[in-house]
Amino acid sequence: MDAALRAIAEPHRREILRLVADEELAAGEIAAHFDMSRPAVSQHLRVLVEAGLLDKRRDATRIIYRARPEGLAELRQYLEDFWSTGLRRLRLAVEREMEDERGERR
Amino acid sequence: MANGDDVVEQEIRVAAPPEVVFPYFTDPDRMRRWKGVEHKLDPRPGGTYRVDMDGQHVAHGEYLEVSPPHRLRFTWGWEGDGQLVPPGASTVEVTLTPDGDDTIVRLVHTGLPTEATGSHAAGWVHYLARLSVAGGGGDPGPDPGPS
Repeated sequence: MDAALRAIAEPHRREILRLVADEELAAGEIAAHFDMSRPAVSQHLRVLVEAGLLDKRRDATRIIYRARPEGLAELRQYLEDFWSTGLRRLRLAVEREMEDERGERR
Repeated sequence: MANGDDVVEQEIRVAAPPEVVFPYFTDPDRMRRWKGVEHKLDPRPGGTYRVDMDGQHVAHGEYLEVSPPHRLRFTWGWEGDGQLVPPGASTVEVTLTPDGDDTIVRLVHTGLPTEATGSHAAGWVHYLARLSVAGGGGDPGPDPGPS
């Protein structure tokens, strides 16, 4: 999960994910969208694959990339955790208030 | 991802009646105990709120419905230039349902900005990138609170 978050912290990598979210693209097609060098693009692709956010497959001489929905589902889980952590803190705060009230009545 | 996937739903049971829980969403002194460090809240329909989460990231939105002690709806977003979830972009609905001596708190976050990029997957990536910054990338831990 940390790898995925680090991966999407970089704007070029978010741009790559957006490019391949709905369609498969070859490495060259992805690179054509950027001013970066091909090795720089390749490095970003590698980071995304290792983070589980990108699938790659070989098609004849080309390597084709596509966003990996399961990886995105893990990110979604992160957002759910964000809210559930908040609600757990809410519960602790409310129940502390209830305890204090009971204590004062004694 | 299917359309219905752009909803985040969370539920928790709290050992207190809704009347006790509700002000934690509308009263700055109570909100401070679980969320953010500085709070400006105007809890009436059309009123705005501004919650400084950590001295850097500010959640900002508008109360759409304030029906104590059972229901509350407000828009949700982050302040600042180029935010991917700008204020007003998404909506959070909180319902408080009594269950015996407890309250079931249900939070539903809808309208997540998947449309803006024309792709669910890309929308989530952007949204989460923003949240990962806002939330500090993990469990925010307990608020220091006023003590």
